Amino acid sequence: MASSDDPGRREGRYDRRELIRRAGAGAAAVGVAGSGLGQAFYGPLRFKGRDLSGDLTIIQWAHFVPAYDQWFDNTWIKQWGQKNDVQVKVDHILNTLLPTRAAAEVAAGQGHDLFFQLSPPAQFEDQVIDHKEIVQEVTRKVGKIGLVGKKATYNPKTKKWFAFSDNYVPDPVVWRRDIWNGVGESPATWEHVRRAAPKLKAAGHPLGIGQSAELDSNMALMSFLMCFGAYVQNEKNQVVLKSKRAVEAVKFMADIYKRGETDEIFGWDPSGNNNFIYSGKGSLILNAISATRTPEDRKLPFADDLWIWPIPKGPVQRKGFEHVMGCYQIWKFAKNKAAAKKFLADLEINYSQAFTASKFYNFPSFPGAMPFSKIRRATAADKHKPLGKYGILTTIAQKYTVNPGYPGNANAAFDEMFNKFLIPKMFAQVSKGQMSAQDAVNAANHDIQAIYKKWRKLGKI
Amino acid sequence: MSNAFREKSLSYLIVGPFAIVLAFPFYVMVITAFKNGTEFYDASATPYWFKQGPTLDNARFLFDNTPYTDWLENTALIGVAVVGITLLLALPAGYALARLSGRVGQSLGVGIFLTYLVPPTLLFLPLFWVISRLHLQDRLLALILVYPSFTVPFSTWLMMGFFKTIPQELEDAARVDGASRLKTLVRVIFPISLPGILTVIIFSFSLVLNEFVYAFTFISSTAHRTLSTGVYTDLIRGDLPEWGAIMVAALIPSIPLALLYNTFLDRFIAGFTGGAFR
Repeated sequence: MASSDDPGRREGRYDRRELIRRAGAGAAAVGVAGSGLGQAFYGPLRFKGRDLSGDLTIIQWAHFVPAYDQWFDNTWIKQWGQKNDVQVKVDHILNTLLPTRAAAEVAAGQGHDLFFQLSPPAQFEDQVIDHKEIVQEVTRKVGKIGLVGKKATYNPKTKKWFAFSDNYVPDPVVWRRDIWNGVGESPATWEHVRRAAPKLKAAGHPLGIGQSAELDSNMALMSFLMCFGAYVQNEKNQVVLKSKRAVEAVKFMADIYKRGETDEIFGWDPSGNNNFIYSGKGSLILNAISATRTPEDRKLPFADDLWIWPIPKGPVQRKGFEHVMGCYQIWKFAKNKAAAKKFLADLEINYSQAFTASKFYNFPSFPGAMPFSKIRRATAADKHKPLGKYGILTTIAQKYTVNPGYPGNANAAFDEMFNKFLIPKMFAQVSKGQMSAQDAVNAANHDIQAIYKKWRKLGKI
Repeated sequence: MSNAFREKSLSYLIVGPFAIVLAFPFYVMVITAFKNGTEFYDASATPYWFKQGPTLDNARFLFDNTPYTDWLENTALIGVAVVGITLLLALPAGYALARLSGRVGQSLGVGIFLTYLVPPTLLFLPLFWVISRLHLQDRLLALILVYPSFTVPFSTWLMMGFFKTIPQELEDAARVDGASRLKTLVRVIFPISLPGILTVIIFSFSLVLNEFVYAFTFISSTAHRTLSTGVYTDLIRGDLPEWGAIMVAALIPSIPLALLYNTFLDRFIAGFTGGAFR
């Protein structure tokens, strides 16, 4: 009988020491090979802190509510960095400079790991990774992305998530109740606004709806078009601007300008309408709640008289775009994609912190990250006067806010049209008396058609 | 009334309003720099004088809450380096072009000046690529290398015109006395060209101080910013420009620059017009 010590008998069998030795060597070999394959080794990203290291660079705007940046820079990124062993560095720049910076980084093929944009940046679809993985991860944790966020960052044609939206910002009308009361009006409908316009201007408090080449004018005027039942594109992303309703809307706005506005609306940047209301001169603007938060923080004498309502109702409906569509993109050339993905997922999963830090400015693109019921409770607890004034934000977000490009989805053509400010140009030409409403709509429609044709040819819409 | 008095009065009558118009923005800057923050949003307050009296709060905010001193240091460092590089390249280049007779010299001079006319808005994208490849992003060295691309052509052209006004005979005399070309340059030509050199220094430094596009594109961190981008990006918080702090930030560098311009005004004018009458 052969004992177990018999070498002949041990062939093909391992004692415990041998087994551990071979298993160790095998694991090391797989590990070495795996390290060369990068993420392929450990399969789909599991968002485990131990997988991350190095630096993570972020560029984003100087937030319209400075308290958000305080939280983001001094609390959030520090805590997240420590937890994940990643050195996070964030650069803030003025919102108007973001497109230039993005173009420069793309041209150089080098830049920040995370690039934040204020409107859906569909034009960069080929330069960014598919953000699907992050959407899926957040969906697993907090539920589905909201329709506004999805239609702003997902291209159904290419089936690619060209950005990850962490937030959107409801866009109310901000108005001076004391001044409007003085003329016996309120901005419930656009007809009310038109009726009040000459009285307000005569009282030295004109309206402030921009018609300039900038973000806020874009948002306000496209929302205005929707209230009249006119759209830039339809559900199938076809250009449908040329319509009787669009002409009617443009005429209506020109009338509002003539009756109740001044020339300064043609030269504003995104902060123009804010400063207009802060100066005490303006009586109404279409803006997010930064326009009420700043007067509260600065204790301006009329802060309590700044009311927020949903966008005035038009002849067809009450509907508006969000004010800001917060979208992060990860370039294909980003150096630390793994950390960037986890950062975004964690930010969204914990978005209630961001919502509070932004003083109710940023609404999560994933409603499950902070349900509307919680938002309603938070806004009701706000102590600023009139008490509960921010409660209307949930109604605006749920009932009246749609994505840029509605009823279609945000796409590269819409993005280009948006960034060329063709809609404010169309309105301004009529308000300034340079064109008839019909000609202005025709001209804008023609220019927009050309843009859509180009992107359709490129297979992006 | 004497003729002299009448002439003087007429001069003041013409220059006076002109000076007031030009000095007015500076005056508003000074007033705003020392205004109380609440006055900016008080419709009953005039922008041209104090309602609540002057305050140093804006300066305190600037120095306590922003890296303003870093921006000043960065700007000064870049300015000095760029002026040095510009002088090093533009003086010999200008001299060589001035002394190159015939069409070649003239064409080269015009060619160099034309490069100055290419706007940074066209160049910043390819240059950003170059800076990235050199791994100089977010480093002051990026600006020190890029800025001479527009200071050197202009300064070369300016100095070329200036050198042309210096008679060749002066150089010949020095050479006859045994001076080498280099010694002639250092001992004879450069001292005579001092107005031109001063013009190059002031002009180059002003360009560095005002430049925005490259500074914004190549530098992304707050601590490495220059004055032009730091003020614009860090003193406009969201929708709220910190008007008082912005004006203090603009006032501080403008004072030494204004003094410099005034001290060397005559030489500055001579520098610019040096080649005009040849």
